[in-house]
Amino acid sequence: MSVVAILGYLLLAGFVFGSLYKAFRYLMMPMHVRWELYPVAHEKGKVAYGGSYFEELDWWTKPRETSVVGEIRTILEEVFTLKAVRENNPSLWLPSLLFHYGLYLMFLLGVGLVVGAAAGLFGFPGLGWLAGGKVLSVWGAVGLSLGTVGCALLLVRRLGDAALRNASTPADFLHLWWLLAVFLASWGSWLWADRQYTVAAGFVKGLVSFSPAGGVPLLFTVQLVLLGLFLAYLPWSHMTHMFAKYFTWHSVRWDDAPNLAGEAYREKALKLLMLPVSWSAPHIKGDGRKTWLDVVQERGES
Amino acid sequence: MKPEPLIPPVNVKDISKATDTLSPIDLQRIVPLPPPYDEVDAATLWKELSADRRSEIDASLDGVSALSLKRPKDPAEEERLLKGFVAGLRKLLSKENNWTFLQPLQLTLDHCTHCQTCAEACPIFVTSGRNEVYRPSYRADVLRRLLARYGDGGNPLKSALTGPIELNWETFARLAELAYRCTLCRRCTQACPIGVDNGLISHELRKLYSQELGIAATECHANGSVLQLRVGSSTGMTPAVVRDNIEFIDDEMSEKVGFTVKTPFDKVGADVLLIHNAGEILAWPENPGAFAVIMEAAGISWTMSSDLVAYDAINYGLWYDDVQFARVALEHIKVAKKLKVKKIVIGECGHAHKALTVIADRILLGEDNVPRESALTFLEGIVNSGALKLDPSRNDFPVTLHDPCNMVRAMGIVEPQRRILRAIAPRFREMHPHGVENYCCGGGSGFAIMSPNNFANWRMLISGRIKMQQILEAFKDELDPSIPKYVCTPCSNCKGQFRDLIRAYGAWEKSRILYGGLVELIVNAMSDVPPGFLEWEFR
Repeated sequence: MSVVAILGYLLLAGFVFGSLYKAFRYLMMPMHVRWELYPVAHEKGKVAYGGSYFEELDWWTKPRETSVVGEIRTILEEVFTLKAVRENNPSLWLPSLLFHYGLYLMFLLGVGLVVGAAAGLFGFPGLGWLAGGKVLSVWGAVGLSLGTVGCALLLVRRLGDAALRNASTPADFLHLWWLLAVFLASWGSWLWADRQYTVAAGFVKGLVSFSPAGGVPLLFTVQLVLLGLFLAYLPWSHMTHMFAKYFTWHSVRWDDAPNLAGEAYREKALKLLMLPVSWSAPHIKGDGRKTWLDVVQERGES
Repeated sequence: MKPEPLIPPVNVKDISKATDTLSPIDLQRIVPLPPPYDEVDAATLWKELSADRRSEIDASLDGVSALSLKRPKDPAEEERLLKGFVAGLRKLLSKENNWTFLQPLQLTLDHCTHCQTCAEACPIFVTSGRNEVYRPSYRADVLRRLLARYGDGGNPLKSALTGPIELNWETFARLAELAYRCTLCRRCTQACPIGVDNGLISHELRKLYSQELGIAATECHANGSVLQLRVGSSTGMTPAVVRDNIEFIDDEMSEKVGFTVKTPFDKVGADVLLIHNAGEILAWPENPGAFAVIMEAAGISWTMSSDLVAYDAINYGLWYDDVQFARVALEHIKVAKKLKVKKIVIGECGHAHKALTVIADRILLGEDNVPRESALTFLEGIVNSGALKLDPSRNDFPVTLHDPCNMVRAMGIVEPQRRILRAIAPRFREMHPHGVENYCCGGGSGFAIMSPNNFANWRMLISGRIKMQQILEAFKDELDPSIPKYVCTPCSNCKGQFRDLIRAYGAWEKSRILYGGLVELIVNAMSDVPPGFLEWEFR
């Protein structure tokens, strides 16, 4: 097995492990108090103006009407049109849109290569075009063009806008430079080594079948290493916002589920109220033994 | 036009610099108001702290002090405070100490891309002329960098990637103040494409200072939730005083409306327990009075409570301290159970709405989960029932509506108050933007009750200015003082802010702009009540 293949496996494993670890960490966090923000996308019939079931007289006696379609529509609108950026930060919208579409297309190309490899291995018909060829070549060129232009524009903006530059962290610049390097290396591979993604398809097929072939071109290797390192790093960065949105939107912003009859959250809440408190302020005097239930039943002192 | 940024702009890492004032208020950059309010010189609203006062307290963030923090007496005290802060950082991210907000907080800490999409949504940042320290991401980034360097023993790589900053007295004091330069309106959160919640960061910072170090705004803590838990109300009113005051209000109302109005107290088995923000009873007695008139006229079975805490809907813990919050919420529920009411109706108080209806919801288990309803929804029910005879021509003057953030953006109660106004106020018009995209009054998260040092000046000049602009815009064709105008404000804290704003900008004298609640307008439209319930007097 070649060094490139081993590296490929390792970096991919890093990406998968890191992403799962982060998602698992959020999933395992305790129930929080309600902190919704309107409009809540699943409120049936009220989402257009941001209304809620609290507008209904004796709301707890009425059936709660929600719409999963509302949530999906809002998420898709955000993913495909970057609505919030368009409305609140219009000058950043086009660079951001180009950049994201470039990423979407390249991500889908990667998924396509995996599907194509699996189809080849298991003999699914009609997916031969995913093993490399003109379609993938055009697909890649479009994705790389959008991504490169978007990334470069975002970088220029971040460097050129004094306020934005000042509010940026070293990591913000690192991510953009790194992604630009990935796009440029991918262009190098596209132009001079693997225009029709046949090398990539073969490499992916080797990885999927656990019989990776060696001898890939240098420019392809450079692209692969830069991309692999980026993917392995990604879960530890703020760029996981692509899946974090499920939590920030669905689990926080839209989490308006009422605790009807006080039973829905009883067990969870009781466990949390029994956790020890160690906040030290005089009105709490948490000693690590007193529980939440203890401290909230005291009156404290100033 | 967007002004050029300050050169050189204040950076996140500058927070630890030993400078006299990190980012002072620049009066030249404050957004202008339309005539004749352009003559209200920003300088007349502004007050610099005296050198003497500056020597006593820390105002090194922006020349303003909300907390009156005193410099530590000696290095040992400074070390104790900084150590306490680091301990608080760890507790903020621990399940045991902060399960209440851990997931939203961690998600926010992990995912900001610094795209600044939130910045223009923040009225404080924009109104100030885009003062860098008011940028919604600024305080969040200070917290991120401190966590990277000091949280859980520190992470050098993470610290290098976020940009390290030093925790010293300057950072400590400025960050504490900075947590009180945000009204927690969460407009920035609404704008964020990712769902990052910079408003929550302010909330969590306040919590850290309060729950670990006992540092909080005096008005919210010592004179707020502590006083409420001790004597029954943050106003200082004891049960006997409340009953006396309400009796006096009932007499006044009876005389005014021509029928007997009697507020029931501690009536077991009533349908409704009505809880007002007790500030109404002292500052705007016509509000609880109008509620009582409506209840009487509509034949509602209701009661107020004279038990400690339960006659005051306020719950200032919502803004700064989870423990104080829970203590007050549980007292409210305890009394509702004792009185065996069918539901609690929360009066015209935005934060009390959110506190008891939303935030407390998941800790109210079993019998504690007494149904809670907004007064706005409840009032719409009464209006729709036809129990009141209403004559909208009695409200034939320009009316606009302020949306309290806690009722609207945080609870989605948008239309009931509008449907009522459309029915009773023929000259009702909206502010822009409104509804869930409204601007905070500038007094949110406790600011309306906070006026130490020059904080009230900051409130008028910076946090409330955009709301003043909105009000003037809503009445722009009728600013003439011969036309009385009404800003309907169904929230006590917002009313406190409007009182101060209208006074500071001279809007009563210049334009006859009055503020008040929704119930006063309803009673003013009641045919069974003699005309002129609304008294056009500014106070």
